[in-house]
Amino acid sequence: MAVHEPEARQSYLVFACGSSWYAVPAESAAEVVTFPELTRVPGAPAHLLGVFAHRGEVIPVVDMGLLVAGVSQSSRRAVLVRLPRGTLALTATTVAGVSPVTGALEPLGPTGVHVHLRGPAKSGPRDVAVIDPEGLFDHLSQGA
Amino acid sequence: MGPPSPVRGMLLCHAGAHRLAFLAHEVLAIAAAAGEEAASARLAFRSPAGATRVLVAASGGAVGVDTLEIDAEAHPVLPAPPVAVRASGGSLRGFVLARGVLWPLMGLVEFERFLRGLGGEVA
Repeated sequence: MAVHEPEARQSYLVFACGSSWYAVPAESAAEVVTFPELTRVPGAPAHLLGVFAHRGEVIPVVDMGLLVAGVSQSSRRAVLVRLPRGTLALTATTVAGVSPVTGALEPLGPTGVHVHLRGPAKSGPRDVAVIDPEGLFDHLSQGA
Repeated sequence: MGPPSPVRGMLLCHAGAHRLAFLAHEVLAIAAAAGEEAASARLAFRSPAGATRVLVAASGGAVGVDTLEIDAEAHPVLPAPPVAVRASGGSLRGFVLARGVLWPLMGLVEFERFLRGLGGEVA
């Protein structure tokens, strides 16, 4: 089985939500924001904390702790991941900055959100899960 | 993305602490909750069913809310992100920006069907 590795020239925005570290391709990471009071979405799962308006766009906020590990991580900061189909705000408790990632890009699990998290990978000394932004967007839009 | 389209004539409501908006022309009548078979909007926020007012659609379906206010002003409607539309079973039409905050704009008939699907408790 071929092991996919991160593109040598690609940079990633590395951030943590609780004790878990994530890396998102830098070209998809638009900015880091402190979000205001959220508006809850009727029928939303617990990991979809709500939405806020930002530069004329309504942006959903996803609690990465709840989505990935089932444990909420309180934070008012988020990484905005901008895709052609829309923007996601992923909660972050720490933002390390932009850096390269080494290792593999294999799905970290066979089902659920873990299909869209890749690894095992490292950013410096940290173990990181590399987020597939398009896959994560599909996962959330299809009723995760 | 084009400029947000304005909408005029809404009911701005609360279900518990949470905001909801409906287009006034979709509401045939507003009734007291007592005696009305309505799907409680609180269910969409994982709260126990309950309501003080009921919005009745022309189709006969009804949604129970806790507070409501008629708003005749024009307000911009921002498109809903796909993640949010999916979560609300397709009943979310967008977000109204009114009074400095966002209000989920719901289709009354679709939202009533969605609530029934969640458990269908009567308000």
